[in-house]
Amino acid sequence: MAENGESSGPPRPSRGPAAAQGSAAAPAEPKIIKVTVKTPKEKEEFAVPENSSVQQFKEAISKRFKSQTDQLVLIFAGKILKDQDTLIQHGIHDGLTVHLVIKSQNRPQGQSTQPSNAAGTNATSASTPRSNSTPISTNSNPFGLGSLGGLAGLSSLGLSSTNFSELQSQMQQQLMASPEMMIQIMENPFVQSMLSNPDLMRQLIMANPQMQQLIQRNPEISHLLNNPDIMRQTLEIARNPAMMQEMMRNQDLALSNLESIPGGYNALRRMYTDIQEPMLNAAQEQFGGNPFASVGSSSSSGEGTQPSRTENRDPLPNPWAPPPATQSSATTSTTTSTGSGSGNSSSNATGNTVAAANYVASIFSTPGMQSLLQQITENPQLIQNMLSAPYMRSMMQSLSQNPDLAAQMMLNSPLFTANPQLQEQMRPQLPAFLQQMQNPDTLSAMSNPRAMQALMQIQQGLQTLATEAPGLIPSFTPGVGAPGSTGSGGPTGPTVSSAAPSETTSPTSESGPNQQFIQQMVQALAGANAPQLPNPEVRFQQQLEQLNAMGFLNREANLQALIATGGDINAAIERLLGSQPS
Amino acid sequence: MAATTGSGVKVPGNFRLLEELEGGQKGIGDGTVSWGLEDDEDMTLTKWTGMIIGPPRTIYENRIYSLKIECGPKYPEAPPFVRFVTKINMNGVNSSNGVVDPRAISVLAKWQNSYSIKVVLQELRRLMMSKENMKLPQPPEGQCYSN
Repeated sequence: MAENGESSGPPRPSRGPAAAQGSAAAPAEPKIIKVTVKTPKEKEEFAVPENSSVQQFKEAISKRFKSQTDQLVLIFAGKILKDQDTLIQHGIHDGLTVHLVIKSQNRPQGQSTQPSNAAGTNATSASTPRSNSTPISTNSNPFGLGSLGGLAGLSSLGLSSTNFSELQSQMQQQLMASPEMMIQIMENPFVQSMLSNPDLMRQLIMANPQMQQLIQRNPEISHLLNNPDIMRQTLEIARNPAMMQEMMRNQDLALSNLESIPGGYNALRRMYTDIQEPMLNAAQEQFGGNPFASVGSSSSSGEGTQPSRTENRDPLPNPWAPPPATQSSATTSTTTSTGSGSGNSSSNATGNTVAAANYVASIFSTPGMQSLLQQITENPQLIQNMLSAPYMRSMMQSLSQNPDLAAQMMLNSPLFTANPQLQEQMRPQLPAFLQQMQNPDTLSAMSNPRAMQALMQIQQGLQTLATEAPGLIPSFTPGVGAPGSTGSGGPTGPTVSSAAPSETTSPTSESGPNQQFIQQMVQALAGANAPQLPNPEVRFQQQLEQLNAMGFLNREANLQALIATGGDINAAIERLLGSQPS
Repeated sequence: MAATTGSGVKVPGNFRLLEELEGGQKGIGDGTVSWGLEDDEDMTLTKWTGMIIGPPRTIYENRIYSLKIECGPKYPEAPPFVRFVTKINMNGVNSSNGVVDPRAISVLAKWQNSYSIKVVLQELRRLMMSKENMKLPQPPEGQCYSN
């Protein structure tokens, strides 16, 4: 029956049954009432005076909910309670419930998000990223670009010494601050040739164990790496800072376009969290933390829609800006070490050192690098650490195991291109060089600061020589033997190095194959040529046979496909199939 | 106004509304919607206000939407009129005055007398989470329709 509501005449909301006792008391006395505050997550009871204002009420509950009073929004019976109102005004009596929304700076904690829900929505849109990532070619490249940038940065991860990493971060900061330096570095032909060799890049990248883990988890990455087109494009882009900025802008555009596709945002986020974030994290470890760490963590807490509403995509940091420099410094240090290592044994080596040192110097001519070099020479321990770093070791190992690769790397530099005979000479000696590099004596020689200084002096001296006394450069003699003698070991290293300065000051006193070879090196410096790859047919012999066995009988087409895909059989097959009608 | 009609099969409108009022004040439900009388002195129990807290992981997140609900004399046999006060961009809501189109919202279109204001609010909230709505660009927070 309707008696309940009718008992007090006209039905008044505040005379609900629960409030009956409360309202019977004299309203003038401040009675303590118990009000329940409910958030989507939790529920708490508060005892407050009946006539308190909303503001006072908020103060009481702010402590419990660990928020500022201005972050609290109270709702009762469908109305927002303003601070200057009183509880009575809204009819809040004993035993009633008020809803609470807590606004944190970015997002309300009162609305808790379930990460499992996010995972659910991600799973449903999992099919879309597959289709999204392939047709959107603008994306595959930027992500390749980004990942390459991250990857290139990974190469510096092997340097475990804290000293060196501090150094590195300083250097990187300097680099970040000065794009001109970047440009200079990029323009250095050695760096360019290094970067333009996709095989080399791939090897370097694969050598990193973290990359390997990533690849296991995301086979898409290995496809990326194995596609030389993408690699080449990426490298080109990395070389050209203006183009880089373009690409970044395009990438941002493409990203925001993706957002508007249904399910696209989730696809993006998945791509980000699966691929880019670990890479960024890995690459940025040394750079002082992932700038997107906060965004990422907020995504993981399920609040990922925040970025999609506000265009909070600052242009992604330039992850590949410092790494190529680091890489180049690592590389040039490699060549330096190669040079010094070979300096231990023979003339070839010394000449090599010179040439390498030349490049080293050209890169280091910028002030930032100068200081780096200074620090390196001052701190022999650094060099030692650097050389003994796992990355360097693995690179050297892979080089020694793959003489072809080492040969390519060495020969790609314009150093040797002018003189094919030189190349021939170098090739057999490379394994020997690499052996030496692993020789701990070599390392100790490298760590000798005087040795480094001497090398610099050699380089300077030879430059002077080349400009002022070109006539002194003798013809190349094949008897530049001694290169094979690896038995010299450590003791001869410093000796040679210390002998070197005296050598530079008295060029005329040179005689013998050593100095001749050095001159030859200098001469070769002037040349610039495209490197010669080993015959692709030879390289892909095995793959060709496999393709033949599979039924692809067109040898030329197979070869083309293999060349285009860099030896990746699967990709080559796709190419072959794609070119056939239907 | 005495609204008792005696016999009991049909629950009188005001009684239902009273129950709903009590429910709104006691905060029944999960705390994501709230409703109550617009004017506490309203004897007719016709004008109500409602509040929906924007569901998380949608574009409505972190926003509080205010609504006006009018329960006519035929309530609960007839659905109430629902209107957004806070500006919102959502399917089924008129973008110029915030009126919720009863034909577009399923609970209003297929109204049953067991439904209540709470059900309407919760359904609207659920619709905010639907794929078609959850990403619609929204007007700046805090704007209200002029009428």
